[in-house]
Amino acid sequence: MNTQQFLISAWNWNPWVIAVCVANILIYSARNRFRFNRKTGWLLAGTIMFFLTLASPIDTLADGYLFSAHMLQHLLLLLIIPPLILLSLPTAPLPGRFQNSRWRWLDWIVRHPVAGWFLGVGGMWLWHAPTLCNAAISNVWVHRLQYVSLLLMGFAFWWPVIGPWTKQRLSPLAGIIYLFSACIGCTVLGIIVTFASVEVCSIYLHPMDRLGILPLIQDQWGLTPAKDQQLGGLLMWVPACLIYFCGIFGLFARWHGEMGDEVVVPETPTTKTLIEKPRGH
Amino acid sequence: MSEAASTLIALETPAASAPRGLFSWVATVDHKRIGILYLLTTLVFFVLGGIEALLMRIQLARPNNTFLSPDAFDQMFTMHGTTMIFLVVMPVLIGLANYLVPLMIGARDMAFPRLNALSFWLLPCGGFLLHFSLLAGGAPAVGWFSYAPLSETSYATTSGVDYWTLALLILGVGSVAASINLIATILTLRAPGLTIRRLPLFVWMIFINSFLVILALPALNAAIVMLFIDRHLGTHFFAPANGGSAVLWQHFFWAFGHPEVYIMALPAFGIISEVIPVFARRPIFGYEFVAASTVAIALLSFGVWAHHMFAVGLGHPMDLFFAATSMMIAVPTGIKVFAWSATMWGGAIRLTTAMLFAVAFLIQFTIGGLSGITFAVVPIDWQVTGTYYLVAHFHYVLFGGTFFAVFAGLYYWFPKITGRMLSERLGKLNFWTALIGFNTAFFVQHFLGLMGMARRTYTYPNLPGWGLLNMISTIGAFLLGVSVLVLLWNIIASLRHGKPAGDNPWQAWTLEWATTSPPPVQNFDRVPPIRSRRPLWDLAHSENPDPIVGGAASQDGFILEKNRVGIVSFLITEGVFFLMLILAYLYYNNHAMNGPTPTSMLDPRRTGIYTLCLLASSLTIWLAERKLRAGKSSAFRWLLALTILLGTVFIFGQSREYLRIFHSGVMVNSNLFATTFFTLTGFHGLHVFVGLIALLILMWLAFAGDFKLGRIEAVKSIGLYWHFVDAVWLVVFSVIYLRLLI
Repeated sequence: MNTQQFLISAWNWNPWVIAVCVANILIYSARNRFRFNRKTGWLLAGTIMFFLTLASPIDTLADGYLFSAHMLQHLLLLLIIPPLILLSLPTAPLPGRFQNSRWRWLDWIVRHPVAGWFLGVGGMWLWHAPTLCNAAISNVWVHRLQYVSLLLMGFAFWWPVIGPWTKQRLSPLAGIIYLFSACIGCTVLGIIVTFASVEVCSIYLHPMDRLGILPLIQDQWGLTPAKDQQLGGLLMWVPACLIYFCGIFGLFARWHGEMGDEVVVPETPTTKTLIEKPRGH
Repeated sequence: MSEAASTLIALETPAASAPRGLFSWVATVDHKRIGILYLLTTLVFFVLGGIEALLMRIQLARPNNTFLSPDAFDQMFTMHGTTMIFLVVMPVLIGLANYLVPLMIGARDMAFPRLNALSFWLLPCGGFLLHFSLLAGGAPAVGWFSYAPLSETSYATTSGVDYWTLALLILGVGSVAASINLIATILTLRAPGLTIRRLPLFVWMIFINSFLVILALPALNAAIVMLFIDRHLGTHFFAPANGGSAVLWQHFFWAFGHPEVYIMALPAFGIISEVIPVFARRPIFGYEFVAASTVAIALLSFGVWAHHMFAVGLGHPMDLFFAATSMMIAVPTGIKVFAWSATMWGGAIRLTTAMLFAVAFLIQFTIGGLSGITFAVVPIDWQVTGTYYLVAHFHYVLFGGTFFAVFAGLYYWFPKITGRMLSERLGKLNFWTALIGFNTAFFVQHFLGLMGMARRTYTYPNLPGWGLLNMISTIGAFLLGVSVLVLLWNIIASLRHGKPAGDNPWQAWTLEWATTSPPPVQNFDRVPPIRSRRPLWDLAHSENPDPIVGGAASQDGFILEKNRVGIVSFLITEGVFFLMLILAYLYYNNHAMNGPTPTSMLDPRRTGIYTLCLLASSLTIWLAERKLRAGKSSAFRWLLALTILLGTVFIFGQSREYLRIFHSGVMVNSNLFATTFFTLTGFHGLHVFVGLIALLILMWLAFAGDFKLGRIEAVKSIGLYWHFVDAVWLVVFSVIYLRLLI
């Protein structure tokens, strides 16, 4: 099998995944009365990413063949899909039911972003404990639990940064610290995985070649188990941090873009009037 | 002026008048005097480092020269690099920040004036220690990067490296302390109306840079501590002959070393961002983009260090990712260069000496940046990383970039610091000799490097063209030396009879120009109202002010409590230090080794009990703080005593564990498990011990009745420190002990 044949044949048409994608788009569109704007774009992007994560050859490779493909899935589920979906939601200050006393505690938890941070960073660490990592590949139910939990933890993590209810969002500087510290958390894990002399997921060391693509991976692509783990660690280390950095720049842009509450706009001077002639030099 | 004066905001009561005499300079805690001390000290070291460079250039002027012996040459390039980086560039930038930041934000002084004095005095101490090695058997001769195993005792037999490690530790502590101080100053002492989005760019960049310092320096400090332990306790962190890893040293060193490049560049960017707008008579183009690109550079700088190690052979995946990030970091830097150029475009440019240096900075830094990008291409890096091409590259960044910016800043702010203008005539001479000298000295080194001339080598064979190009380079270096003499002459002459400057000789717009030159001890009696990024422009042009820079007060205008900011910044830097020790432990204990192992030596259950004691002490100190806030001082004292008791029990437990291990004949140098275990837990134990002393002081203060007036910042700070020590132990316990139970 060559690369092209593999890329064509290795799609996994899981009815559940397709159903979730279709339902997602239909419900969203119906609620918007089929009017499309930029937020619809975010939703489409998120849904396509979801589909690619769980139905494309990435999933086939992650299923017992490549640790790095598994890591890519992990990143998409935790760091790419949740923020895209969150960005597609309409924003509001805070719905009324969270202001009454029965739901106050939930609001309180969300506003103190410790929970979100630990779920987001902890999710990364938890599923790479060797036992859990192996269990997720050998047992299909643990595997499904892993997908769902990663998505949920991703939502919890991004909620204080770009959640739809603006009153629950962190202030820009706090948000920057939130994202930067998360980046350090996943950098450390990435470094450990990259340089660890033992395997994180031992299953990937001796893949069961169900599809007969092992020669393709190891000989043609040159991805030996050692290189594969290094690549996986690097994916978690570098691109993951770049995603957090994108979040940081998004916050920065929002911060500098907003006008604030003490603004009185005087007539804007043109560039010409700002140039002053040198005095007596 | 009178109507303008009525709009000024009065500050709190001024301090006393300036004390006089030489001793008052030694005892000073005034940020302006400390800033001047920084600048003068670095000037001395600058001349020293320059002389070291000239000695090397004399040796290299002709092929097969014998002016310096190979060993003397090694000592010279090590001392030149170490001096210029740690004793000149970093402290001169910190010194400028020290002088200017409080003035630019309308503050009376730094947040912690005594800590400020300490940070300064550590600088001459460290510099003295480093240079003392010359009298104690020879300076270090292993390069400023001290690559292991060359820096281990088997290869570096003199005590030079020991002086190097101690000096760098002291200087590192000083820099971190200064940065914590700057962070606290900027976050807590801004004048009314000076929101974060209205900060002058110099202050913004110093702010970001200070975070770089507190995050990057501890990586170096941890590595240096390990090297020191290797050299003095006979361990093998970095000695491959006994299972250590020389590559780990490189990782640790460059994890510090690459952010360090930006630590030396960001403040220079800040200077340029102040000088160019003033002399182009236009506000900076794209303030937001310059500010955000600074953050981008700071963040990315932590993710590119492995490009210093392409030649190590880290494997294709590593090379690939780090080549990509290294190229990426060129983008925010390019944004800055674009913003500065666009500021000058269409401006009414005044080519003063300061502006000339700034323009030369722009061109030379761009050249250095472009040659830097070539190193991101791995095969090119392999080819030229050991040659003079690299020497040319980083001198274009550090001398053509940072030093030219510092010169620009010196000509720009000298009138404010001394009250007298530097001579423009001598200034122009200084500039042109520096420009011609610098480019003559270093541009030809690009060619030499591409021809294959090896750096860090005391001489070279007589190949066609090499002698000539090296002679040109040496002549350029001496011209550069002449330029520095002109600068010194200019400073001395202008101090004596320079033109009086007046408050605002350049018609600049930031707050430091609102006070007299030199400023009074208390800096300001009043500050102008601040509604935009150029308060003095608004004051002088009330008919045509800048558009107001808005922002919600809760997000931009906040003022934090300074002790809180200080202790949190301190804990961040401590956290990085422990992170390095933990990573070293994980790195060495992931595979089987001979000698003692965690399983045979450690008892997780017993240590678990002592761990519970330590965790309980976190709870008691939290309760103690609550009691104190509620005004129950006797309950506070009891809980404090209980905390101390629990901490002591933990220390006792650790001592028993140590004694047990010692009795079984295992010492810190037995194998890498013992080394990493004792280093990690030892440093943690040291922190617990320091915490106990702090708690005892609190106890003493509590009995003296110090907290009755409700000033409980000290309790809060020590409490935070104690929680931090416990949290670190929780991680250490999981890493070392809990793994044994699973």
